Amino acid sequence: MDIQGMDDAFERVAKKQKTTYAKTNEVIEKLLENIKQAEQLAGSSPATGEILGGLQAKVNELGPQGQIAGAQKELAGALSKYGKLLDKSFTTDVSRACRNIFKSCQEEDLRQDLLNEVIAQHLFREGHFELGESFLQEADITIPDNMRQPFLEMYQILEQIRQHNLEPALEWARAHGPALRARHRSDFEFRLHQLHFVHLLHAQGRAPALLYARAHFGPFASTHMADIQRLMGCMLWVGKLPASPYADLLAESHWDAIAAEFRRECCCELGQSLESPLKVTISAGAQALPTLLKWATLLAENKLDLNVGKHLPVEIEMGRELQFHSIFACPVSREQSTAENPPMLLPCGHVLCKISIQKLAKGNSRAFKCPYCPQEATVGQCKQVHL
Amino acid sequence: MDVANASPDGSMVDAPPSIIPAAKKPPNLSAALQVEQQLMRLPFEGFKKQVRVNNRVVEKEMNAVVAGVAEASSKSLSQDEAVRQLRGLVSRLQGLKRKLDEGNALEQSQAQRCRARIEHLSLNLGDKDSQRRWETARVDRILVDYMLRNSYYDTAVKYAEATRIQELVDVDVFRDAKRVIDALRRGDCSEALAWCAENRKALKKSKSKLEFQLRLQEFIELVRGEKMVEAIKYARKYLAPWGQSHMKELQQAMATLAFKKDTDCPSYRVLFDCGQWDRLIDEFKRENYKLNCMTPDSLLSIHLRAGLSALKTPFCYEEGCSKEDPLSQASFRALAEGLPFSKQTHSKLVCSITHDVMDADNPPLVLPNGCLYSRRAMEAMAEKHHGEITCPKTGFKCDFSDLSKAYIS
Repeated sequence: MDIQGMDDAFERVAKKQKTTYAKTNEVIEKLLENIKQAEQLAGSSPATGEILGGLQAKVNELGPQGQIAGAQKELAGALSKYGKLLDKSFTTDVSRACRNIFKSCQEEDLRQDLLNEVIAQHLFREGHFELGESFLQEADITIPDNMRQPFLEMYQILEQIRQHNLEPALEWARAHGPALRARHRSDFEFRLHQLHFVHLLHAQGRAPALLYARAHFGPFASTHMADIQRLMGCMLWVGKLPASPYADLLAESHWDAIAAEFRRECCCELGQSLESPLKVTISAGAQALPTLLKWATLLAENKLDLNVGKHLPVEIEMGRELQFHSIFACPVSREQSTAENPPMLLPCGHVLCKISIQKLAKGNSRAFKCPYCPQEATVGQCKQVHL
Repeated sequence: MDVANASPDGSMVDAPPSIIPAAKKPPNLSAALQVEQQLMRLPFEGFKKQVRVNNRVVEKEMNAVVAGVAEASSKSLSQDEAVRQLRGLVSRLQGLKRKLDEGNALEQSQAQRCRARIEHLSLNLGDKDSQRRWETARVDRILVDYMLRNSYYDTAVKYAEATRIQELVDVDVFRDAKRVIDALRRGDCSEALAWCAENRKALKKSKSKLEFQLRLQEFIELVRGEKMVEAIKYARKYLAPWGQSHMKELQQAMATLAFKKDTDCPSYRVLFDCGQWDRLIDEFKRENYKLNCMTPDSLLSIHLRAGLSALKTPFCYEEGCSKEDPLSQASFRALAEGLPFSKQTHSKLVCSITHDVMDADNPPLVLPNGCLYSRRAMEAMAEKHHGEITCPKTGFKCDFSDLSKAYIS
């Protein structure tokens, strides 16, 4: 099933809708005309019986009900076809399949208070401040101020960056300078100064730019000398910067980049993730659902009972952006490593779980062959790996 | 080389776009779209309902007019009477024409909603930018759906407006439901009963008990108010017809006549419990979702449960869990409580320095102390510090040449 097919099927419905309307309208018009005519005749002639009989004959000839029913039937046919297409293309009962999978571990639906909390946080951190306040009020909940205020500031600064005003961002960087340096992120600070310098030079000319450079580039001499030299080179091209070898410094993309970087640094300072955790979880859910649903249908078709224990029954392929942890699954036992059963590096470079190695060595210190290459190893030669 | 593509000076110019497109398979609905049943079905059901309502109006009026003509011609009417009769028919037909136009406008707007959703689906199959738009809109849609289900109407409407997804969410369906729910909250069944009457056929088909439960509640309210005679009359009229299928509940309810509202007997006290109204609201919501082809659980709950279990690993609960992992947060951990862990039968390595996934292009390297990092991270570190490697976890120092390869399959 493809979207084009769905689109076509729906356009057929839309066309039938139009023709049905047109047909119905036409029939009504005709009938109306006939009756109006009869009314006029009846007003001027006393032969009522004859006139009404004539009208009856005309109505019989027109057969308005049959004509309309025919058009309606065609529309109904197109509608039912499209409905069947929808049934075929989409999983009819996502909810039930989902419940079946999770019923053995979670009887109740997710807790509403927790859901409200994560939604409120999501709204504020995504910059929907008015909606956030409205939601807090309607859901009758509160969230700590530190989940609101800092984001409000962040979005104000981002808005200023969008308007090519770096002052608030620079001030923020000054206030958080020590923390940025502690995280080895002084590069961000320098990029801000660089962008501001170029902006000044382009907009206000040499003198203010030079003053700015003197005031702020000093601390970065040891780390960004090459950049600073290049920026000084710009001074020679004032007024014709776009045609200079330094034109790249004026690119609009620098503003987007600095906004993105500011966002990252700011979230980091706030101890928050860069992406909304709610959005991340929903993405993960959207990636996991097709597999889970397929599996649920398969079991239902075979009339097998679903009994999900501690682990999901299937492995779910997730996008890279959703992998946050290193996971080691032993290629021999297919089990996940644990603190008691850590991954071990063989001298040949292959990695197996400790228990698998002990089994291969049959518990003694004799050499065993690596399952993946001809090289031999002893338990003593294997070294624990920390992921 | 195709000579036609070479410019006079011999250099190649960009090949012009081929006139005949390569035979391309139409893009299939990706698996991710299969869960979007509600998105597509709901406006379509609305459309169908509108068509049904309009058809019925036309049919009824048309029959009446035709019958009117037949009646007039069968009787021998005086001139005045005939004119009056015909004039009546004319105005009736004119009324029908007006209704037809109104109905047509409603049908068209419903059709537009259906069309907007098909268009929206195609975003998912587009380029990276449209994919991103699709994902953002998905979060918004899911949240609006959740708010509507939980009666946060104002925020839901504002949200849909602010994110311009009005055509992708179904505020109207919930607005109708709100009327019924508000009435039930006030302890008034009339709206709900009217709703049941409106949808009698569909409710009967799905063997819904809602109407019976509503009637039962009205009966209980009469008993609560000590209006015993009225209660008995009510029961005769509205409860008796359900006798065949719900005898047990009916008998239990009738017994409340003897027990009155302050009874201690647990099986009757529960009938007087005010929580019954909340249960009625829940039951109504369930029936309403079913009738409109909506999922009984909110889309948010469905996505979160699947997503949380897919993300859940024992490592999420370790110290130093990445902030980017939703399960590093207390509220998400609480939501994930009781949900199964993800199943992992294949190793996936994420470099703890660069957070890149390690694979054949960026293979893992092991330090002599057993710590494992991606080659890209190690090379970058070696380049910066003249070949010296410092383990960020332990502070252990060694040379780049001391690193060994690890093969993890």
